[in-house]
Amino acid sequence: MLKVLFKIIKVLAVVWVVLFTVFFFDLDGKFLYYVWEPMMIKRFDNMKRPDLTGTPYERKEPV
Amino acid sequence: MSERTIKETAAERAKAAKNAAKAAASKLRHADYKKAAESVREKARTFDIKKAARDFWYGKPHEERRLGDLYIGNTGLYKHREWRGFKDTMYYFHMIWLYNYVHMVTDILSGDDPLSFFAGTMRYRWMGQTYLTVMHWFDRGLEGLRGPALAASAWHYRGMTNETIRQFMRMFAADKKLHGGKENKYWKNTIAHDETVSGNIFYPWRDVMDDVALQMIPYFVTCHVNNHTVLNYIDAMQSIGLPADPCPMCQAEAGIFVLDDYPDYSPVMVTSNEACDGSVATSVIQDWFLNRPLFAMPQPMRFDDPLVQKHCQEEIEECWKFVEEQTGHPFNWEEYKKHAESFNKLTDFEHEKWDVAANTPYYPINGVAQALYRIYYSQDGDRPIWHFVDAHVRKIMNKTVKNKIVTFPKTRHRAIAWSCAPLYYSNWCTWAYNCWGINTIINMDSLMFDQYLRTDTYEHALEDLATFNELAPMRSMAVGGHEHIFRLWEFMEKFNCDFVVMYDQLQCKGMQGIHGMFEDEFRKRNIHAVWVPHALPDKRTVSRKEIRKIISDYMYTVMHEEPLDPSLVDFDDSESW
Repeated sequence: MLKVLFKIIKVLAVVWVVLFTVFFFDLDGKFLYYVWEPMMIKRFDNMKRPDLTGTPYERKEPV
Repeated sequence: MSERTIKETAAERAKAAKNAAKAAASKLRHADYKKAAESVREKARTFDIKKAARDFWYGKPHEERRLGDLYIGNTGLYKHREWRGFKDTMYYFHMIWLYNYVHMVTDILSGDDPLSFFAGTMRYRWMGQTYLTVMHWFDRGLEGLRGPALAASAWHYRGMTNETIRQFMRMFAADKKLHGGKENKYWKNTIAHDETVSGNIFYPWRDVMDDVALQMIPYFVTCHVNNHTVLNYIDAMQSIGLPADPCPMCQAEAGIFVLDDYPDYSPVMVTSNEACDGSVATSVIQDWFLNRPLFAMPQPMRFDDPLVQKHCQEEIEECWKFVEEQTGHPFNWEEYKKHAESFNKLTDFEHEKWDVAANTPYYPINGVAQALYRIYYSQDGDRPIWHFVDAHVRKIMNKTVKNKIVTFPKTRHRAIAWSCAPLYYSNWCTWAYNCWGINTIINMDSLMFDQYLRTDTYEHALEDLATFNELAPMRSMAVGGHEHIFRLWEFMEKFNCDFVVMYDQLQCKGMQGIHGMFEDEFRKRNIHAVWVPHALPDKRTVSRKEIRKIISDYMYTVMHEEPLDPSLVDFDDSESW
């Protein structure tokens, strides 16, 4: 039982150290800035979009 | 930003990262290790262990922090996040960074259709490119804060994050574009409205339907979190022929439609003139592209006139009739009463906050958290998250008042910020405190729509709701008549401020008209005031660096003061979020 408890504590400690490293060295920000955002920009720039300026503009029924 | 520039930016960033890695490797190869070892020995000789231990535990004193040295180039990223002392760093890590990342996941999971989050992220630029960077928005706004000021301001950010997620999850759940054109039950039971049409208007249907402001999430909040996205929408609008000089807010809101980047989540739309009459054209364009039943409910310009009040009440009633007819759900007076009374509790607490801010140095909320939270919840209306946040903030504020904790100890000037703020640099006040000790106590956006909603009779309710609608953002104290704009002097005195930061939205024709009168009044009253020019969401017109330079120049040349943190006077953040 105690062995399992120590194992859990050990895993939690490792997770804590990893997360604190990500936090302290702003690794989340660096990932989003250098990897994620350029990828998204590329995706949205290449996305096919309908030309909405072709939508007819007609007089509507009063509501 | 044009499409070409955006692509170039992405390629440049990848290239810059590659070059940085190459430079680091080259530095390692060619390093003078003897010299480095000597430098380490020298540092060891002069190392003050007591001071290092004190700095580790309590954080460096304000004047020694050199926060500007933490930035990487012009990116706004940190070499490492600030060490605020053991207790505050642990608080930031656990209760802000980790807490918010975890709760963002739970917020998404508790949305109406959690899986639609992924579809929305991949479909909409304002989602996929913008909102994942939200923790940097916290970082920028909370830089340098300690103790209760850090905690209370962060709770405000938490509230806004939660409500933003709730709104886009509802949009995605209802969105026809994400559901193969299907009009599902969420689509049928959601009311879309302009972001300046108050959420209070739709209380009678909160038990059977939801109401989500159309531009709040795709446009307004994005500018604060990651201001890269909005530039696409401004350029899109200009690409179909709009000249560049109208308000860029209206341009961006219309540009979302030009690029087909709006979610189709409601069968109806309630729009307004967004208080600024230049925005009427935005409504026309939205009406064109949305192509569905639309009710226009403009906020009147001269709202002091009792006849205008009566007219405004009639318009609200017509709007209610429109919602009833279009959705088939009847008006529910008891539901209105319930939410209006709950909203009044938020107003009560706001008044308590103002009392502490005005009369003591114990107010634990910084300028940017105060401004954004107040305008967000006032427009959005009664939601459980605002009460949750207020309960936390009340606890913190009671503690600072009871124990007389001076929350911003380096305050040299108590500032009031007036007119409409630069959305791409709403955190300028965090910088101004850290660099110059300018503490922004209150701002115009917080003081608008200061209105209780009576619920004793239907007539009183309608009267108060009409007044609330008339005091919409940008209307009451920006383009609602000079007597309201000049309430600055009254609030300056009330909040014991000695300094004015006067926003100058270069493309707002309304406020431009009164610029000279303000100049005259500042001189006549012998008030220190800095004009901060900006173009609302568009950072290309006046950069953040230029804004800082204007303030710093004033502090050096007029106030004859020296910066608290010289590393923050001049740095480049042109490519930051």
